[in-house]
Amino acid sequence: MSVPTGLTHVPWESCAVEPVHDAELESYARRKQGICLPAIPYFAPVPWLARAVIDLRPEYGLLLQVEQQLVELVTLIVSQENSCRYCYAGVRALLWAQGVSKEHLERIEQQLSRANLPAKTVAAIAFGRSQSRSGPAAVRVACDALRTEGFDEGEIKEIAYVVAETDFSNRAHTFLAIPARFLEEMPNRWYQRLSRPLVRRVLLGRQYRGRATPLDGVPSYPYAGIVEAYAGSPIAQALRHTLDQMWASPHLTQRCKLLMLAVIAHGLESEVCAIELDHALEREGLDRIVLIEVLAHLDSAELDDCERLLVSFARETIWYQPAAVQRSARALRRTLSGPQLVEAVGVAALANGLCRLATIVMSKP
Amino acid sequence: MMSLIVAGSLAGLVVLAVLLYGERRRTASLRSQLDAAAEDLQHMQLACSKLAPAGIVQRLVAGDSVASLTVPERKVVTVLFADLIGYTAISEQLEAGVLATMLNGYFQHMSDAIHDNGGHVAKFLGDGILAHFGALHSNPWQCDDAVRAALAMRTAMAEYSAELTRNGLPALGVGIGIHRGPGLVGLVGSRDRMDYDFVGRTVNLAARVEALTRVHHVDILVTETVREALDKRFVLEAMPPQIVKGIAEPVVTYAVRQPQPSTASAV
Repeated sequence: MSVPTGLTHVPWESCAVEPVHDAELESYARRKQGICLPAIPYFAPVPWLARAVIDLRPEYGLLLQVEQQLVELVTLIVSQENSCRYCYAGVRALLWAQGVSKEHLERIEQQLSRANLPAKTVAAIAFGRSQSRSGPAAVRVACDALRTEGFDEGEIKEIAYVVAETDFSNRAHTFLAIPARFLEEMPNRWYQRLSRPLVRRVLLGRQYRGRATPLDGVPSYPYAGIVEAYAGSPIAQALRHTLDQMWASPHLTQRCKLLMLAVIAHGLESEVCAIELDHALEREGLDRIVLIEVLAHLDSAELDDCERLLVSFARETIWYQPAAVQRSARALRRTLSGPQLVEAVGVAALANGLCRLATIVMSKP
Repeated sequence: MMSLIVAGSLAGLVVLAVLLYGERRRTASLRSQLDAAAEDLQHMQLACSKLAPAGIVQRLVAGDSVASLTVPERKVVTVLFADLIGYTAISEQLEAGVLATMLNGYFQHMSDAIHDNGGHVAKFLGDGILAHFGALHSNPWQCDDAVRAALAMRTAMAEYSAELTRNGLPALGVGIGIHRGPGLVGLVGSRDRMDYDFVGRTVNLAARVEALTRVHHVDILVTETVREALDKRFVLEAMPPQIVKGIAEPVVTYAVRQPQPSTASAV
């Protein structure tokens, strides 16, 4: 009898874009992570996104306090929560490659958040779930539970970052329906079982703890407040670099990106993000009445065709069923170019992660 | 002596091999039982998803206590209440099996329209459907979603009725009432039986508004509260205020005329 583990029961559409091989990017991934994961070529048309899925991973020098084992559990549970077959299979494959047996993995899956895990771990997992699926009020409650279990503010910020990064990564991979089969079947392939010790060595060899890093200046665009909240941590530099590249990328206009971010902030009832985005859209010359209309009804006669499509898509990315959002993303391909679609997915994914993160790091405890 | 040692060692090896084989078989058997239990659990989870929102089932399966889910949350939710028109007469004409098939088709078409537009079917009440928009997750677009769902239900109902009449069965009609207001969201019920529900006066008024569709001879009615939050490109027509049971003031309702939002505004 086959073992019903993982998320293989989650319907997953065919991929919305073709992979593009970029030798420089793939070499960068190998240098940073030891291997080039199969998703990278799908993101290659939009370099900031391809780099973000590599550079924002917490295990490569971004964490100062939280242990890697807890990071992996939180990533696993959030990916399960978001029904991301690719990321879930990725974490499973990573754990398996690091020496965790298939049986032990299955036990972890069956027992996650049960009483036989330490109370601190259970609280971190509950917090991860809450940050991914609930509104700001519930997240604050989960955050208080972390404090009760003895996590300090620095640790809480790191856990919140891990969840936000997973939310971002899950959405980026899910919306484009990046094929997950390769990673799902990894522990079953004889040649991968044979090469497991080598893969383990390569993967673990690339992971390292972060070091305190001063932040040289705070950018002035939306979400800069999150960067500032991580000042002193390598997370700030990684986020800043990703945001710089995202704003500079040419496939969608600044106004279109801002509108997508504003819709997501509105849908998540994130006041801190909404205020920043309102101001940024005013600076872009968008009439306040038009913005109110867009946020209230996701449409306005003032929007161009691309903006009209993408504000609706942005709304769909807040709470989604994988197959439905994948069909919507593929439908966009009829109007948008490949790079435009990949960038739209990246912007929506990043906004969802950061907006949820802002509730924790930009609000007073 | 030597041959005795060899024979003893061989016998020991054979015993060890038998023990190892037995142990391997026991492990395989236990593993197979574990696999079956895991598969049963997954099937149960899928089955339970039909009875309660999937997210709630996942939280319960994942170990969230029922107590944590029964703490009600105060929310503003848009409630859609739908009912079959002339169901009693139809039910008297048809055999139970045919009626059940027809009803299941109706529920499926209506549920798909609700789900595709961001709603959640809370329960089937006889031939009625109670759906919520904005109960499970925050949804600032809940009124637009509910009216879009109602319009999709109107279209789906017309298609389904055409299919029924082609098969020699009576056509169906549906009345839909939509109201938005505050209430409590959470798992409610007894120790033995609970429902994930939205409770409050909002639900009652949505049901009353649905009943007014018979009075005004229209299929979709929304309240003033919904109209205020609705995209002005939906074309609405004001109906005469009407007294309904349990509400002191006459209820002002609007019939939804336009199949899809356009640039015109009628209200």
